[in-house]
Amino acid sequence: MRTRSWIILIGALLLVSLAFCFLLLGRGASGTVANIYQNGVCVRSIDLSAVTESFTFTVSDGARENVIEVAPGRIRVLEADCPDQVCVHAGWLADSAAPIVCLPHRLVIRIETSAKAADGIDTVSQ
Amino acid sequence: MIRKLLPLLLALVLLCACSAQSGEKTEEAAPQAEERTSTIFAMDTVMDLRLWGTEEQLREAEREIYRLEDLFSVTDPASEIHALNESGEGELSPETAELLSGGLALCARTGGALDLSIYPLVRAWGFTAEEYRVPAAEELESLLENVDYTRIDFDGLSRVKLPAGMEIDLGSVAKGYASTRVIEFWREQGVTSALLNLGGNVHALGAKPDGSPWRVAVADPFGGSGYLGVVEITDKAVITSGGYERYFEQEGKTYWHILDPATGAPADSGLVSVTVVGENGLTCDGLSTALFVMGAERAAALWRESEDFEAIFVTAEREILVTAGLAESFRPLDEYAGAKVTVIEP
Repeated sequence: MRTRSWIILIGALLLVSLAFCFLLLGRGASGTVANIYQNGVCVRSIDLSAVTESFTFTVSDGARENVIEVAPGRIRVLEADCPDQVCVHAGWLADSAAPIVCLPHRLVIRIETSAKAADGIDTVSQ
Repeated sequence: MIRKLLPLLLALVLLCACSAQSGEKTEEAAPQAEERTSTIFAMDTVMDLRLWGTEEQLREAEREIYRLEDLFSVTDPASEIHALNESGEGELSPETAELLSGGLALCARTGGALDLSIYPLVRAWGFTAEEYRVPAAEELESLLENVDYTRIDFDGLSRVKLPAGMEIDLGSVAKGYASTRVIEFWREQGVTSALLNLGGNVHALGAKPDGSPWRVAVADPFGGSGYLGVVEITDKAVITSGGYERYFEQEGKTYWHILDPATGAPADSGLVSVTVVGENGLTCDGLSTALFVMGAERAAALWRESEDFEAIFVTAEREILVTAGLAESFRPLDEYAGAKVTVIEP
């Protein structure tokens, strides 16, 4: 009898845990925000699901530049003045599988569930 | 069996801990100090008030702002300033006197880059009624004859006399004064967390309720989709003056509302935006205008001999300069992310 109640209890816990796992995983899969990090700091966030027309912009630290192209649902490094061009050759990024990394410029583009730049802005001085 | 289940059990315990923590947060807020917000229209602009306090504290702040507006308004025929401009002399209430003396001190401190008597020129350019025009050089010259704050005869307490033809406007410092009054009132009431935005003039009391600093974005003076950057502050005002706020274009030339008291024309100092951060709202408000007129170099010189403000400058060439005290708390964002920020050293 005691053993049975243990099994029931553990079984219930197992079910609850599994439910949480699915909930968390499910949320992770719906990420469509591209966060661009420079030196580990998110400098820009773009909601890729809201992009209707392609555009480009430049991320620069004053000396080194990466030209980023954003299209509906995806993002890539179009041009960069880094020596290895690994970031350019990485091509389009559309899911959270693996980030685009430009090591020489310390730039990382990640697809995540929420915007990491400009988050928590409380008000605007203008 | 138990070993296999252990990670799951641990995960469950962690989840419980997480939810317990978020539960605590909601319990923390005492019924008296709830977050309350309101939006009012006063001093020709939109004002957002946000505090963790009582409904009465919020209403009292609104009433105070309306009361100050009635005293300072340059257009309201019932205001003290209107009466002063009409008759050339007057007896001021303590609040108007305090604002005038604070404003005059800034005029002197900035060598006249801020001048409370510039109002007739602002009107001549059409910025008061939004009927924009470019006045002729002779018109500017004759109007400039009556622009000189040093000729305002003020006893420092209540009696003030203006020379014939002079009109004053306290609009360049009124919002900063109002935000400081409201913040001080709330502080006396024991409020520890509040945020005001009076038509773009930001003023914070304390930090956020969770203890972290307020994150105040600075508008992009070039009108991009994002912000210039974000500055993290506690117990400070963040006040920006920019040519983008009010301007008109004529024959391909842009004329903005910040006039140089020396020329009577829109300030042409190479700056497109100045943000001043400091504890006193009136000081920050007046300085943001004055530094815009002075240009980066003179502004940096004034900063070096001062201890009550820090500043962010944006030049027409999109260069960003910050004074050393903001080097750590200011970060460019969006289109400016990663842009070079020049730190002005003491």
